Amino acid sequence: MSTFTIPVGPLHVALEEPMYFKVEVEGETVRNVEITAGHVHRGVEYLTTKRTIFQNITLTERICSLCSNSHPEAYCMAIEQIAGIAVSERAESLRVMASEIKRIASHLFNVAILAHLVGFDTLFMQVMETREIVQDLKETLFGNRMDIGANCIGGVRFDLDSKGLSYLAAQLLRLEPQLDEIVRHYRTNTSILRRTRGVGVLDRAAAVDCAVVGPVARASGIAYDVRTKAPYSAYDKLDVPVHTLEDGDVWSRALVRLAEAKTAIDVLRQCAAHLPEGPTGPRERPDVPAGQAIAKCEAPRGELIYYVRTDGSRCPERVKWRVPSFMNWDALRVMLADAKVADISLIVSSIDPCISCTER
Amino acid sequence: MTALPDDIEARLRAAAPGGIGYSRDETAKGVAVAWCELADPADLEAAARCLKDLGARLSTITALQPKPPEPDDDDDAADGDDAADAGEPEPPRALGGVAIDGTSYEIAYHFDVDGDTLTLTVFLPAGGGTVPSLTPLFRNADWSERELMEIYAIRIDGHPDPRRLFLDESVDAAVLERLIPFSTLVNAASTKSLWEKILEQKGGAS
Repeated sequence: MSTFTIPVGPLHVALEEPMYFKVEVEGETVRNVEITAGHVHRGVEYLTTKRTIFQNITLTERICSLCSNSHPEAYCMAIEQIAGIAVSERAESLRVMASEIKRIASHLFNVAILAHLVGFDTLFMQVMETREIVQDLKETLFGNRMDIGANCIGGVRFDLDSKGLSYLAAQLLRLEPQLDEIVRHYRTNTSILRRTRGVGVLDRAAAVDCAVVGPVARASGIAYDVRTKAPYSAYDKLDVPVHTLEDGDVWSRALVRLAEAKTAIDVLRQCAAHLPEGPTGPRERPDVPAGQAIAKCEAPRGELIYYVRTDGSRCPERVKWRVPSFMNWDALRVMLADAKVADISLIVSSIDPCISCTER
Repeated sequence: MTALPDDIEARLRAAAPGGIGYSRDETAKGVAVAWCELADPADLEAAARCLKDLGARLSTITALQPKPPEPDDDDDAADGDDAADAGEPEPPRALGGVAIDGTSYEIAYHFDVDGDTLTLTVFLPAGGGTVPSLTPLFRNADWSERELMEIYAIRIDGHPDPRRLFLDESVDAAVLERLIPFSTLVNAASTKSLWEKILEQKGGAS
């Protein structure tokens, strides 16, 4: 049987952002995939060297929408290492709370898209409605639904009083039973199971080979989570279970995300129950000497690493980051091998692709 | 307790006969961050293989053109004209002898060893030297190496697929090393014709 090539993208109904896949198919089966990137390359790495160290907090927050909190979080941690700034315990806990709230919203969004691609739009709307609880929470606590502007060098820019904490507790109480019901649907619904089990498999060996991180790695049996392997902020004091599954298929990746959303609720409650007293940030802007540092954090999609080099001037000499999605594209070629054409969009969506993050 | 073995410095020293500079810090939470500079870029492959044997994962690769340190103005003012008479100061040299004058390169390979980070750094002279590709050892070096090849004049030896990654073939090489005037970037050739048009209209009106 002869093969022919079909284009998927750069603009495609199943992709939220532009990416171009040249898919070589034989009948209904994918034989090879070639990925062409660069449609939203903006040169943000260059821009960071033209902004001051403090302006870059705002710039890095705008690299991506769903993990917008993780970028300034890692960037601030790198600068704090260079300048030798200690973050107060209260600020550390508040940072954890900001990133866990973002994690729930990010994971629910991806899991909702899965239901949409399966054609189960009622479930899609149900998950998005549940996610709205978290969006309301962000809007109330931070004043914004996506870019929450939580971090500053040396601490955080927000604080939670008893009113904020009781609103958080009430929202989590609303969220939890709804999330449990969503998990039950994904575990038992035959339409979901038929379309996602055994589809887009990335086995453990291939996952190690591709160096994937985050839920994609954990769904393939790699128990790597920056929060436990290289603790930062308040994570060394918190109980954060790492969820892994062995099958490495689309379904496992969704279930790992749902389990992590559930864990995030628990982590938020742990933080709220033992929120230390103290300042939330420094009183004045610190001086940042010449130096270099690496900071890592667990973004919703996995390990986000920042490398920052400063030369003692107002602007950093070099800021480099690598997002979790960066390795996932190559892993997609493994997942898509011998897949059915109808499953392409489902498999692509299962890596929780972030193109503006990848291309910067 | 960290995942990075205590004898890692000795292992890297054995793998890199050209010589290394090694330092190690630990964060307040007990996460080790180690830095290893290689005097000879040719030792990169052996050093990376040593880390691969430890089960390391390549996190990412950073390339940059380090700026020379600023001359110390305060000293000049205090000590009189000794420094001023000496002419252009010699740029400092990196381990291995590459001059840090703003045109040479530094490539930092960041590895993750079960949560700890170890960075291998090599230095390349101005004009772009050649480093061996790590893609045969670490599959995910592929995209990182392609990206740094398109933004700097660095050559990677033995890359299996050295095509452009993000930038189109029509974009000139080494974009991050050139100053591109804004008018060139936005192809502002129409500015003059617009001005001429206005002048013409004004001339016609008066």
